[in-house]
Parts: sequence; structure tokens; C-alpha cells
Amino acid sequence: MSGLTESTDQTMFLDPEIRNWVLFPITIIMVLVGIFRHQLTILMTGEPPKPDIKDIRQGKALMRGQTLAQSNSYIPASAFANRKAYLCQAYENGTFLKNKSKDQSPVNLMTDPKNMEVMMDGMKKQMMGIVPQTLIMGWIQFFFSGFILIKLPFPLGMRFKQMLQSGIMTPNMDVRWVSSLSWYFINLFGLRGVFSLILGGENSADGIRDMTAMGTMGTMGQQAGQPQDFNKLFMSLKDSLSIVYHEWDLANIEQRVLVKYGKQSQIYKSAAR
Amino acid sequence: MSGGALSLLADIRQSSERRPFAVLKLAEPLLNAQSSISSNSDDVYLVYEQVFIAALDEGQIELAKALLVLLRKRFASSERVKRLYGMINECVGHPEEAQLIYSQMHEKDNTNVLAHKRLIALLKSQGQVGEAIKMLVSYLDTHTNDFEAWLELSCLYLNTHMYPQAAFCLEEVILQQPANHYFHLCYAEINYTMGNLALALKEFLRVVELSTDNVRGFYGVKLVSDRIRALRDLPKKEQPPGIAGAPQPATLDRLSQLATERLVAAYSSSND
Repeated sequence: MSGLTESTDQTMFLDPEIRNWVLFPITIIMVLVGIFRHQLTILMTGEPPKPDIKDIRQGKALMRGQTLAQSNSYIPASAFANRKAYLCQAYENGTFLKNKSKDQSPVNLMTDPKNMEVMMDGMKKQMMGIVPQTLIMGWIQFFFSGFILIKLPFPLGMRFKQMLQSGIMTPNMDVRWVSSLSWYFINLFGLRGVFSLILGGENSADGIRDMTAMGTMGTMGQQAGQPQDFNKLFMSLKDSLSIVYHEWDLANIEQRVLVKYGKQSQIYKSAAR
Repeated sequence: MSGGALSLLADIRQSSERRPFAVLKLAEPLLNAQSSISSNSDDVYLVYEQVFIAALDEGQIELAKALLVLLRKRFASSERVKRLYGMINECVGHPEEAQLIYSQMHEKDNTNVLAHKRLIALLKSQGQVGEAIKMLVSYLDTHTNDFEAWLELSCLYLNTHMYPQAAFCLEEVILQQPANHYFHLCYAEINYTMGNLALALKEFLRVVELSTDNVRGFYGVKLVSDRIRALRDLPKKEQPPGIAGAPQPATLDRLSQLATERLVAAYSSSND
């Protein structure tokens, strides 16, 4: 061990046994656990929830209103007026709503049976992610602590010393020498590429996804798109429909065609029909 | 070689064209030499389904039955395979059996699009246009964004000469596919038949704008503009309401002239 001074180039001699018995095993174990998780997740994933016919109808009615608002200029004014009147009336009356009662009290997520399946699936997936990670981390801490494993090729600030050299309290050792726990983290991020090679694109062995999932676990109640209040959506769509100014795309089409075929040099703004 | 045939078959699937002869010809070597199809890839079942339908179209029932057995072995309880059973029943002339199969599927799961559509097709093939219309309307009540279904409904209405309803359906189609000139063409012709000449003229012009030198479109332009011209010459009282909003006579003349020109050019060009 050299250097009482803060030299930037400490060299230390590591036992090659460390490499054989720690470096490789950690990586191999992580790969195996990843594959195992992936297969287990495939087995455990239930079928995606099948949409109810009333849900479909609701959703499509919304899309219909949106298409009408968007492409209104391609149909004649009378057709547009008809549809606008019909749809606004229908949204007002709630003809497309799933449960006819306009009072859409936020459906209790816990008791809705369909949502239960979805939530259970989600929770199972998260379990599958968290448990192996925790286990491996604990195992590494237990067995492989108290010595340094590798030297990072890039320098880091002093703050990382506590995290990366957790077992070894030496005030002077360069932060670049790190313990096995940090090798675990490096593997966590690095094996994504390996997994996508082995398991194909969409695999469940991704450590990073689990970490982000852990972060959002607190917001589990807000499943995106679940009990969307369709009544509100319909009402807002009705409002936007009623303010659409219908300009028929074909109003000056005669001029456009004549110009297109070279019979006229320009379109006259004063659409002298 | 097999790779090329497979990719061609995939293209035909993608464009959902119906080319039974081509499909059968492409698939023949593949089916005979079982080893050339790698049964690991799941594509092979898509090919089976495709060839099955082509075989039904060409009347090769034995081939179809053999394929069906293969598909049934792999996907024992599949709704998709069940509908193939229904189709083969329709083909050999047992429509009641087919209807039973489809109705069961539909009752079990009333969101099943395949079963619903086959039921409608069955009714149509049996000539029960009224029933088919009713069923298609109920299908469209839920799936309003299926423009092909709207197109089918408009065809059914045309069969029964219910022109305003057909026009309505076509408007729905145009809303969803505004850039497709063929739909504008159908819409224009329906309106011409109904007597909404001003609207028909505009729609024919749209066709001609979207698709240069479209012969059918230009025929429409010429016929409609001449007719409007002729009707304009009648005394005010006798003019039908359909020409309200039509362009001035000068414009009509120019459009008619343009149409004549383009039609002559199209027919005298030495393409065919």
C-alpha cells in the first residue's frame, strides 16, 4: 500500500482469487437470476383485461366526436350540422355513458373487480422485481464485504466513498477502488444489453425498470386512464364541437380545379361562384 | 426461395387483398415441402390461415380441411379457428351450421368482431339484406370508427335504393378518410342519383383534384355541369331544388369544356 499523500495514482495489488471468486460469480448469478425472473414473469402474467362492450362504445363515441371536430371541413355544412346536433344532444343526455347515471362518483378502485385483476398483476410484477434485487444485495453485503474488488477507470468525488467503499473505512484510499456492492450496481445497469440479446427486446429482467417502479409505487392509486370520467370528457367535447366554425373545404373547388389544370392562373378570392 | 414466397404472402396479408390464385400458387411449394417451413416461427400459422381462406375461395375444400386440422391441433380453443369452421361450413353449403357457430361465438363474447362480421356476411350472402342492415347498424352503434363497416352499410343501402341513408354512411367514411378520392367519387355519384346536383358537382371536382385525370370523375363533372346548365334554362319555378348553390353559367361552361378536353386526352393517349 503506497501513498500517505493524496496521490492520484495509487496502485494496489489484488489477489487474483478475488477475481475468480467474486467478480465472475456475481455477474453469473445476476444473469441467471434475471433469466429466471423473466421466465417466471411470463408464467405468472395473467391475460390482459378484456374490454367490456359498453367501454368500447364509450371510447368510440368519444373518438367519433373528435374525428368530427377534426375533419369537419370535408363534409357539407348540412351533414356537419346534423351530426353536431345529434352528438351534442347525445353527450348531453349521456346516451353513450357506460352507467347511465350521470353522477360518476369516482369508482372505488378497490372494489371494482376488473381493476383488481389488473392491480394484482401489477403488484405481482413489482414483487418479482424487488425481491430478487433485495436478496442479491443482501447476499453480497453478507458475503462479499470488507474488501475492494475493482478499480473504476474514471475518477469520482469524495462523496461516493461512503457508498462505494462501504466496508472499508480508510480515509486516504482513492475513491476509484470500490467494493463488490458497486460491482453489483454496475452489473445492474450493464446487463440490460446482455438481457436484450438473450431474451429479446421486451424482457422482465430489467433492473432499472424495477427501480423506477419502486419510485412510482406511491402513486399506485392513479392508474393512467382507468376510471376516466367520461361524462366530463363528453361535456368538454360537446363544448369544443359547439364552437367549431364550419368552413367547407370545397367552397372554391371550381377555381382550384381550373387552376390545377391550367385553365386559370390564380384563385380569385372573391369566390364569384 | 421460400423466404421470398413467405415475404410475398406477408405483403398480401398486410394489404388485405383477396388474391386466392396467387396465394395458392405461392404456398404450394411451401406446403408440400414441410421441412422448408420452420415451425418455430409463429408466422406459419398465419400462412395456414391465409391459404385456408384462399383454398375456400378457389373451392379446394380438401386442402382447406387439412389446414384446419393443423390449426386446430395447435390452437385448440381459439375463437379465430372456430370462425374458420364457420367459414368452411358456409362454403360447402351448410349455412345453418355456420350461423349456429357464429351465434354461439357472438353470445359468448359480444365484443367479438370476427363473429359479428361473419354473421352479417352470412345474412348478406343469403340475400337477407334487411336483416343484414339491422345487424350491421347494431355493430356500428358500438364500433363507430370502423370505416369499412360504414362502407359495407352504404353498399347494402344502395342495394335497397335507400340513397339518403347510403349518403349518410359515406359521409361517415369521408370523415374518417378524407383524402381517399374513391370515397368522394361514390359520394358524388350517390348525390347525382339523388338529384343534389350542386353537391355532386363539387364532389366530382374534389375527385378530380385529388386524382389527376380521373376519367370517372371527369365524366361526372361533364354530365352534372351540362345538366345544371340545362336546368338553369328552365323557368325559375320549375327548377329543382338540387341545383341551388351551383356555380355561375360561365364557370359551368369552363368546367364542362375542361372535362371534355381531359376526357379526350385520356382516351386518345396510347396507353392501352
